[in-house]
Amino acid sequence: MSPLTAIVTGASEGLGKSLALELASRQIDLVLVSLPASGLPELANFIRKNFGVEVTIFEADLTVTESYSTLFALLKSESITAHILVNNAGLGNWAWFEDMSIGFYKKQIELNTIAPVLLTHLFLAQVDDERKAYLLNVGSLAGRFVVPKKQVYGATKSFISYFTRCLQLEMDRSNISISLLSPGGINTKPELLVLNHNLTGIAKATITEPDRVAYEAIHGMFLGKKEIIPGGVNKLMVVLNAILPGFIKDMIIKSKLKPVVKM
Amino acid sequence: MKVLVTGATGFIGRNLCFELAEQGYTVMALCRNINHPYLIAHKNIMPIKGDILDMESLTNAMRGCSQVYHTAALAKMWCRDKNDFYNINVIGTRNVLALASDLSIHKVVYTSTCGVWGPTIKHPMNENDPRIDGFAIDYERTKHLAEIEARIYAEKGLNVITVNPSRVYGEGPITDSNTVGKMISGYLKGKWRVIPGKGTQVSNYAYLPDVVQGHIAAMEQGIAGNRYILGGEDVSFNTFFRTLQNITGIKQSMYKLPQKLIEAYSRFELVKTTLTGLPPVFLPEFAARLRKDQKYSSQKAITQLNYSITPFAEGMAKTIHHIKSL
Repeated sequence: MSPLTAIVTGASEGLGKSLALELASRQIDLVLVSLPASGLPELANFIRKNFGVEVTIFEADLTVTESYSTLFALLKSESITAHILVNNAGLGNWAWFEDMSIGFYKKQIELNTIAPVLLTHLFLAQVDDERKAYLLNVGSLAGRFVVPKKQVYGATKSFISYFTRCLQLEMDRSNISISLLSPGGINTKPELLVLNHNLTGIAKATITEPDRVAYEAIHGMFLGKKEIIPGGVNKLMVVLNAILPGFIKDMIIKSKLKPVVKM
Repeated sequence: MKVLVTGATGFIGRNLCFELAEQGYTVMALCRNINHPYLIAHKNIMPIKGDILDMESLTNAMRGCSQVYHTAALAKMWCRDKNDFYNINVIGTRNVLALASDLSIHKVVYTSTCGVWGPTIKHPMNENDPRIDGFAIDYERTKHLAEIEARIYAEKGLNVITVNPSRVYGEGPITDSNTVGKMISGYLKGKWRVIPGKGTQVSNYAYLPDVVQGHIAAMEQGIAGNRYILGGEDVSFNTFFRTLQNITGIKQSMYKLPQKLIEAYSRFELVKTTLTGLPPVFLPEFAARLRKDQKYSSQKAITQLNYSITPFAEGMAKTIHHIKSL
């Protein structure tokens, strides 16, 4: 059988890059989507050279509505059928609500909610019914816990969580496996690196390495897991969340608030 | 011509000072202790007391220089206060670059590391390749952040070149940052008897005099805003110790430590260090690294800077000779 092809959005850095590398290491062809000038051609070259898989790149801003149809038109013109969609692109923040502009929130909501919904729609329309397909939506533990300074981000991830779980019910009998990835903090971007570096205790233990998260995510996706929570401490947090009284949860969340970004 | 070298007592910095001094430059050798035993005495080397975290002493050292080599860094596996990594490597670099801008320094060479790429897959990494791993290692993370500082200053118009040495070995004092020296000296004394895993993990070894020449070539010919890998040969642990055995004629019976055992031990060390504050022998993020190769290509430096690589066996022979004489 021909190799599987996976679309990964937000592939140029952070978790998206690790997910792309994890898929490539399993000999899966890739369609990498990211902003222009984010290093996508270099990453694609590296993956082709080191893993010997086909890599197609699509440089676009996913908050521009036309980009979704352009992407699938490109795949069609190159006779590529995607069997896996990883909705990873997202915009995070760690700021008090009034400190960010309305433009930022508009972009964040568009990228984190509208893009995955519409991409999923277009992806499902082109899958080959004969072959098993996979959808992996990247949510966040922030979609489960109420975390101050992540107000809009957490809300968009709650949206992804609802959307994914609902699709799982709707498409229960189809040949498509739908998974939600709910990671905690990941050691990726430089600005986050400074922050994570200063964390201590529980907050620090919830931070995981991107290659570890990517491995657990792709492994779980192929197993057909409904929700993947990478990291032992994070799994424990989810269990505790279900049984602990509210005031203790608040204490834990507040302990995550202590460190201050030092830039 | 007057040049500033920060980190003048460091493994690379001290030899760079000497080479520049030999070439006739007046070298302002910045060090926190001007009586430091590793500082090389030379008529052209002017030790100047200062610290990259102290702007006043830094200004005093840099004023009147036309070029700056910024080699100072905290290049260790572990440090009691983790903030030291950030302060020295990131803020220290920012201080040097900010001051170089203010004082209109002609050119700056910043010494980074191949650790900003870290592990590799199949082929040696080059300057355009992405980092494939996270940043669990403090040194690598802060050197990466420092490179971002250099990029920001290059965009602002500062003529700054970044050089990325791989694992540097050669004639010099045995310190925490001289990991190869530690292995060789341990082997000679019969104290280093282990090979990690199957011994097939490959790392890139750069000979110190090559790296020093590479710094000077980067200053002369490097293009602003560019990075240059200054490496050497890709060599496995097995080849490393076989070379060591062939050159010294000393055959130690070596034990291959299973990767899983190293990882378990490193976790124990982490617990020990966290509880007691005592320096660890080895940490989990370094154990994990032993699963992957670290191969780097110096092709860009060879083409653009005329960088040359001393054969590994030749560099090792000189290094071993030096370590025996210590």
